[in-house]
Amino acid sequence: MQVLMLGSIGLPVTSGVVLLAFSLSQRLKAAGRVERTEEEGKLQEGGAWLYAYVFIALICSVGFSMAAAWWGNGSVTVFQLLDTISIYFHVDETGRLFMTIISIIWPVVGIYSVPYMRREGGEKRYYAFFLLAYGMLTGFVYAGNLITMYLFYELITLVSMPLVLHNGTREAVRAGRKYLFYSLCGAYCGLFGIFFLYRYCGSMNFTPGGTLEYAMVSGHEDIVLLAVFVMLLGFGVKAGMLPLHAWLPTAHPVAPSPASAALSSVIVKAGVIAIIRVIFYVVGREFLQGTWVQYTWMTLALLTVFMGSMLAYREQGFKKRLAYSTVSQVSYILFGLSLMTSDALSGALLHVIAHGFIKCGLFLTAGVFLHYYGYGRVEQLRGIGKKMPLVLGCFTLFSLGLIGIPPTLGFLSKWYLAQGALQSQIPVFSWLGPMILLISAFLTAGYLLPVTINGFFPGEETSDLEHTGQKDKTDWGMGISLLLLAVFTLLPGIFPKPLLQFVSEAATIILK
Amino acid sequence: MKEIIMLLVVILPVFSGILMPMLPFRTRRQMLFYLEAVVCINSVLVLMLLFGLPKGSLTLFRFTGNLSVTFRMDGLGALFAGMAAILWPLAMLYSFEYMKHEDNEGSFFLFYLITYGVTLGVALSENILTMYFFFEMLSLVTLPLVLHTRTREAVLAARTYLYYMLGGAAFAFIGMVFILVYGTTSSFVPGGVLDAAKIGEKSLMLLLIYVLCFCGFSVKTAMWPFSAWLPKAGVAPTPVTALLHAVAVVNTGAFAVMRVTYFSFGSGLLRGTWAQKLVMALVIFTIVYGCSRAVKETHLKRRLAWSTISNLSYMLFGVVLMTPLGLTGAMAHMLFHSFMKICSFFCVGAVICETDRHYVHEINGLGWKMPKVFGCFAISALALMGVPGLCGFVSKWNLAKAAVASEMPMAYAGVAALMISALLTAIYMMDIVIRAFSPGKVSHSEGERNVRDSNWKMLLPLGIFVVIMFYFGLCSGPIIKLLTSFSNGC
Repeated sequence: MQVLMLGSIGLPVTSGVVLLAFSLSQRLKAAGRVERTEEEGKLQEGGAWLYAYVFIALICSVGFSMAAAWWGNGSVTVFQLLDTISIYFHVDETGRLFMTIISIIWPVVGIYSVPYMRREGGEKRYYAFFLLAYGMLTGFVYAGNLITMYLFYELITLVSMPLVLHNGTREAVRAGRKYLFYSLCGAYCGLFGIFFLYRYCGSMNFTPGGTLEYAMVSGHEDIVLLAVFVMLLGFGVKAGMLPLHAWLPTAHPVAPSPASAALSSVIVKAGVIAIIRVIFYVVGREFLQGTWVQYTWMTLALLTVFMGSMLAYREQGFKKRLAYSTVSQVSYILFGLSLMTSDALSGALLHVIAHGFIKCGLFLTAGVFLHYYGYGRVEQLRGIGKKMPLVLGCFTLFSLGLIGIPPTLGFLSKWYLAQGALQSQIPVFSWLGPMILLISAFLTAGYLLPVTINGFFPGEETSDLEHTGQKDKTDWGMGISLLLLAVFTLLPGIFPKPLLQFVSEAATIILK
Repeated sequence: MKEIIMLLVVILPVFSGILMPMLPFRTRRQMLFYLEAVVCINSVLVLMLLFGLPKGSLTLFRFTGNLSVTFRMDGLGALFAGMAAILWPLAMLYSFEYMKHEDNEGSFFLFYLITYGVTLGVALSENILTMYFFFEMLSLVTLPLVLHTRTREAVLAARTYLYYMLGGAAFAFIGMVFILVYGTTSSFVPGGVLDAAKIGEKSLMLLLIYVLCFCGFSVKTAMWPFSAWLPKAGVAPTPVTALLHAVAVVNTGAFAVMRVTYFSFGSGLLRGTWAQKLVMALVIFTIVYGCSRAVKETHLKRRLAWSTISNLSYMLFGVVLMTPLGLTGAMAHMLFHSFMKICSFFCVGAVICETDRHYVHEINGLGWKMPKVFGCFAISALALMGVPGLCGFVSKWNLAKAAVASEMPMAYAGVAALMISALLTAIYMMDIVIRAFSPGKVSHSEGERNVRDSNWKMLLPLGIFVVIMFYFGLCSGPIIKLLTSFSNGC
């Protein structure tokens, strides 16, 4: 059991470090020589053995982490970090859910990366950080106390930054910096709260229902509430919540497309997990229900939902539009959490799954267009459906999912979110929430469907696409990954029973 | 016997320093060998003391009554002395390489050696008079080091340095006189020595004197508004800036503040008074101010100097919490910050030595030329930011824990200041790291071709510091337990 846990974190990290060391040593050798630029490019190129290495490492890691997730409740203490706090991992229902999503998305993105990154260059470095990020995410999801979680939260930031500044242009470096500093700002806000929770909580270990000691808190409610609020804002940075969302539309689009897909579908969820852990596993919802913290949080989440959609609607850069859409969609989840009722929580968890698959798919399709035609702006995609009907078809499916049209998974999650809001009996928000969700759904349709429509029906205008190459020359790697994601979006929507059962059970445990 | 060693470790470096000009060295190698030997022997002696703390004290001579020059080693002193003993041999080794590029090596090493003895004198002093004596001495023997390059800039910096130091000492003197008059003894006793009966109604004066004395000693830690001297003193050769102006001299200031607060005035008398709030406000402001100036500064060494100012105020923040927990945090940060900051300074020094570049925008892409140096720099940057697993996190954790436990609203603001400062630290340190490794595709100039990593004399200290940073970060239990035992009873 313990071997599985440690292996699931240790294996991807070690293999990533080995690959990174190899890539660095080659780069340094090249840097030592006089004529460098040409050779350096070649040295970073992959080959069959690189893909074999990466995929064996990735598949073993996924195997380890899935085995750790589904074979009983394991927990393992690694060593004492501070006087009273140890690095401690524990598998629970939240961890199981998130880890499964991550373990599906990561190999899919990996397959897609093979053809994509071959052109982009710097493959060894890319895969090294790709593996490292998987390891850090595993550690983060399985973290059993706040300090362990905080440690991996920072590490995720540090290993995912190189993915953002991968292509090394001035713009990418600037975006990478912005990403780093926003994320660290969030992490330090989180740490600020951890200091206070350490004093007022019985234990830092995650326990459903929270560990706050009311006897100690009495008289200090204000500062504890403030600390929790600062933590929400801080961890909300990763989830792209207002007011600190500005990094997301800058950082996600400049990364190579598979990396943006991973960032936007999975790494933003790190913020969601952190908030779930803090609110439901450490502080406990009773303490927050009906306080100004809950109301402010809801307001911020709803504002983000609305603002994100509006900004996406008027954005013309394709990947940037998707990034704004992430800002908006992740706040659906945060809104669901802020309601703190069973149905809303189920909806939030479902939306984690739905948004994970859908946003990953959307970014990957955007990557396909970028890869083959170099088209990064929405108006350039007019008529693209004639060339790549399959890809645009997948895109349409993902769009429908994000808007929330049955029978996709997106419909289910939104249904539960709205139902939870209506049942919550919180004044104003119980009807305002669903309304804003609805408006945002219209906006989502408004910013995604025109791509499909113009793609398939370009109208009178003749586009230069007419003259380029053969029809739908998508690489099999890219095609397979898109189809897989399409299946994952559609299938749970058609057969929702087991998933719904699992999610509602998880929600009951979390809300205990 | 052990008591004699205490005297020996103070005297040995001072005399061997003074002896240096008279010794007939035929080659540079001989001189370096002599220096390293003296420093190593002295460090071994200090470490011997650490592993068997001498119980008694040693009075060198007595003026009148309770005015004497006396040495004794308690927990806090042992910590400071141990730190110096680890750092000096490594810094000496580093400066052998660095000073090749500067003139007047002889006078540099002379004063560098003497400073070692004087710093140990501060650490081992048993009473406030002895400490004050060595405190003043330290200002004087480090002055020639600031003046070293003899440029106009250096002269101006040295002048500023001297004025600030002497001014600070004057304020500290007031505090000393007060303790001698109103205290039961001049020795350092955990919990303070002030006689409540003698003070009576004069508690307002007591607090005022404390504030003056605190400010006086804090000049050495470069607390705002006394911070201007430290960035200016960056004109000195890097071994000086690294060891003295980031560790020894500035820590002497923090050490002296700890002594007067917990061992002379007594934290019990000061807790909850306006004096505590006033100095805490100054300290919190300095934490943020230092970092903000560091972000704005583009000169590498001056940027690190501003960072030192901010970090020294972390320690002072722990001190002015006036609780044993706070003192533990302060001591932890004193210890850990030394390693982190000396490491980053040495990296910058190595870059300056190799490429003669002094500004942040000049180091674009250098990380691939000097990977080991910049690797160490990156690790020290992460440590300063407070990433868990490195030592910076441990001391920050203890400081914040103490602040939250004190339940003072202003201490809460202090925790917020620590976090803001951590973010600013990330900005000014990671800026350098990102520039070095990911320059954003700039063309490389001709002069860069021959840039190489430094040799072992520079890399060995860096490697040791990195190991220490990881060690304390991952395995902080024993050292924190030890520090807690030192601060118990204060």
